[in-house]
Amino acid sequence: MKRSSQIAIAVVIIIVVVAGAAWYALTPPPGPPTTTTTEVPTTTTAPMAPSVLTISFANVPNTDPAVGSDEASSSGFVNLYDTLVFPTPSGDVVPSVATSWSVSSDGLTWTFKLRSDVKFHDGTPLTANDVVFSLNRMLTIGQGYSYLFTPYVDQVSAPNDQTVVIKLKTTFGPFLGSTVRIYILNSKLVTSHFKTPGPYGDNGDYGSDWLLTHDAGSGPYMIKEMKLEAYMLMERFTGYWGEVRKDAPDQVKFLGTTEPATIKTMLSNGQLDITDQWQPTENLEAMAKLNGVTRTDIPTAGEFYLMMNTKMAPTDDIYFRAAVTYAFDYDTVVKSIIPGATESAGPVPTALPGHDSNAPKYHRDLAKAMEFIKQSKYYGKLDQYPIVYHWIAEVPDEEKVALLFADNMKDIGVKVQVVKVPWLTVVDEMGKLQTAPNIVTIFVSASYAEAGSMLQQRYHSKSAGTWEQNEWLQNSTIDSMIDDAVATLDKNERFAKYIKVQEALVAMYPSIFTYDQVERRAYYAVYVDWYAAKGQWSPVLGYNFDCRNIGFDAAGKAALFGS
Amino acid sequence: MGSGADLRIRPHTLLFYASPSSWVGPKMRMSTFVLKRLSYTVFVLFGLSILIFIIARVLPGDPARLALGPRAPDWAVENLRQQLRLNEPLYVQYFYWVRDALSGSLGVSLVTRRDVMVDIQEFLPATVELIVLAALLDMALAIPIGMVAGRRANSWFDNVVRVLSYVGVAVPAFVVAIIFILVFGFMLNIAPSIGRISPNIVAPPTVTGLITIDSLISGNMVAFFDAVAHLILPALALSLGLIAQEARITRSSVVENLNKDYILSTVSHGVPERLLTLKYLLKPSLIPTVSVMGLDMASLIGNAFLVELIFNWPGVSRYGITAMLRKDLNAIVAVVMIAGIIFAIANIAVDLIVAYLDPRIRMIEKAA
Repeated sequence: MKRSSQIAIAVVIIIVVVAGAAWYALTPPPGPPTTTTTEVPTTTTAPMAPSVLTISFANVPNTDPAVGSDEASSSGFVNLYDTLVFPTPSGDVVPSVATSWSVSSDGLTWTFKLRSDVKFHDGTPLTANDVVFSLNRMLTIGQGYSYLFTPYVDQVSAPNDQTVVIKLKTTFGPFLGSTVRIYILNSKLVTSHFKTPGPYGDNGDYGSDWLLTHDAGSGPYMIKEMKLEAYMLMERFTGYWGEVRKDAPDQVKFLGTTEPATIKTMLSNGQLDITDQWQPTENLEAMAKLNGVTRTDIPTAGEFYLMMNTKMAPTDDIYFRAAVTYAFDYDTVVKSIIPGATESAGPVPTALPGHDSNAPKYHRDLAKAMEFIKQSKYYGKLDQYPIVYHWIAEVPDEEKVALLFADNMKDIGVKVQVVKVPWLTVVDEMGKLQTAPNIVTIFVSASYAEAGSMLQQRYHSKSAGTWEQNEWLQNSTIDSMIDDAVATLDKNERFAKYIKVQEALVAMYPSIFTYDQVERRAYYAVYVDWYAAKGQWSPVLGYNFDCRNIGFDAAGKAALFGS
Repeated sequence: MGSGADLRIRPHTLLFYASPSSWVGPKMRMSTFVLKRLSYTVFVLFGLSILIFIIARVLPGDPARLALGPRAPDWAVENLRQQLRLNEPLYVQYFYWVRDALSGSLGVSLVTRRDVMVDIQEFLPATVELIVLAALLDMALAIPIGMVAGRRANSWFDNVVRVLSYVGVAVPAFVVAIIFILVFGFMLNIAPSIGRISPNIVAPPTVTGLITIDSLISGNMVAFFDAVAHLILPALALSLGLIAQEARITRSSVVENLNKDYILSTVSHGVPERLLTLKYLLKPSLIPTVSVMGLDMASLIGNAFLVELIFNWPGVSRYGITAMLRKDLNAIVAVVMIAGIIFAIANIAVDLIVAYLDPRIRMIEKAA
């Protein structure tokens, strides 16, 4: 080929590429905040683009209510589905699909009366049969939040279209509150999407495959687009029976990424409105400096524990555990390592209803620590009994706590072997007493909005050998106290019993109650009116993102980003 | 030959080199070579499947318990273990896996809860698009940069390339990815930093799953340029290290060949520099580069893990990393097998290209 032809071809290619790049540069996607003008754009006759609230999570939700139970999934359920009752910030419940309810005197039969005006997203009316189907489906599949119901629910039935009757095997005081996890599915729609053969006999796959990318709910939002591994986009359901704020977002997008550089970039150019709770402190502080962005710390029903193995030397000795409890520097944790966190008071997070407000907040007291260590049977041979301390490799901040602990223990002559362990290995190790270490550090969150949840999960014998309990407490007295409390129908009485359990546990020094987990996020307070950031947070996972109650000022956002 | 010898490349000369029969003598020799390599590849992949199958299953952690969560009842966990045949001996599990794989099913993903084959079909195109662009950038930049640096050895250009090469090889792709996002996405805001296409752009109908190709097929140039814009940063982040390494190799190869007798002879005949570079220097200098390039491109799918994570790119590498973190057995095996297949194909392609570039290999084959 002649040289001139080659040059001509190269020039044509360059022109096409430059033209394309120039075109793209001139018509960019949602742009950056180039100005900080507060002028509101004049209205035009062109239709307004829908307002989209974008929130990042650790993963894209699993929208099957019988399968998902992580934060993203739970937040999705709140918007896509309705429940019999709805939780309030104080941990009580108010009517939702159920207008009223009653319980038999023995506490075993719960009767719910339903509204008659609720419609699913496809227009089908919601009836009691849908509630029966949803609960039975959850119990059969056995995943997600089914663990709340499997031990207790015996039978569920629908005597008529507006009545649901749930019979329990045993009395369960928090049962009413736990029904916030019975997300009501459109039984006809799901049934029409059963795939056979499947693992559930005649029910095939129970619609699991279809529900991965669709919803069958009646909630204020419905799925518009689902990209597994990328995002979920929901849009308003105009036929919703309940109240929705006039300025609630038209669409809500849940992104499944927490990469700090990506989150910061997206927040800065308006592609993200509320960040996830997993951002490092440095990134949060940098994002808080962006125009219009506010950092918020929201209490949760989760606590970070140093779980001490009460069956393994030297942590099998109560005086040793007490000494370690007083030797630890809690203030450094909440001030320097996890700024914004609040120190725990006892085995139940402060934000959880039923928490003992008189539970002690420990502070480092070396004198007291030495007093206890001298009473320990291991005193005088402490060098022969090092503490084996495992921290979760996937949570870098835990290393800082581990190193602080090791340093603190030197002051009372205790040696610590700090070991970084992957989560999968930790779960395996904690399954057997022989392999469980002296201390494992783990976050645990309550599964329902009462102290009883945390007490059951953390200190009942049934949880020994699971990732939720390294203490191997296996104390029959504590078991009985917990069982009795949870079986008490009267709320005040139940809560009083919770306090007694907490007092008993504190006296045993089974764990170091390090700090209450706080959700640290950055968001555009200038145009997002978020109730959870204003003190109205919910202790129930997912209910801080009830988007029907979040205000979104689209004009304010447009003004901020100059578009 | 005199100084006026006609050394121009003519069309029939090109056809001669393009014809397979001219490479290794009788046509059958080439096809035999390819068949032989394919048969070796089958054995290699078979061995790989056994290895990854065993490794995935002996890693700590009960996949059924991990999939269902710590609070799922024991019977649900046991049901899932039975569905996954985890209670069977390893060889029995492997037998069922091979049987299902041969009928087109790679098992169910414990994370997405659907057939792994469906997941692969959804996520693989995004990764293919990314690594193809990364490979093209690699070829388009590494070779010319290396050639120029070699021809201008010890010049300022060569020195700059050398320094940048060291930096490019030393800095991991995910660090480059983070820097790109911060610089081009955050500070300068001139390039998109997440996803495959902008939310306000109508995506083209899915034909191949590659948004760029599907846009061209449907004539949606808006979507095409938008998709390319989304691809540039992650593809560049992925390929920068390779470009640095291969430019360096090309440069060294050029410098070495420049001192060869045949080049000195060609120069002494007054052959123009451009012709010298493109006809006499390029092909032999590319031999080591192509060998490394092929293997580097095959490893792109592995290197893409973190880049996809950082750019929130919904590709199969990101799917694979999620599978490994959550011990999604079937997905782990599938992703590793895909990487193995790509590696094997790349190896065969490299061998063919090197045989084309290096006449000595053809001579040896012919003599054999």
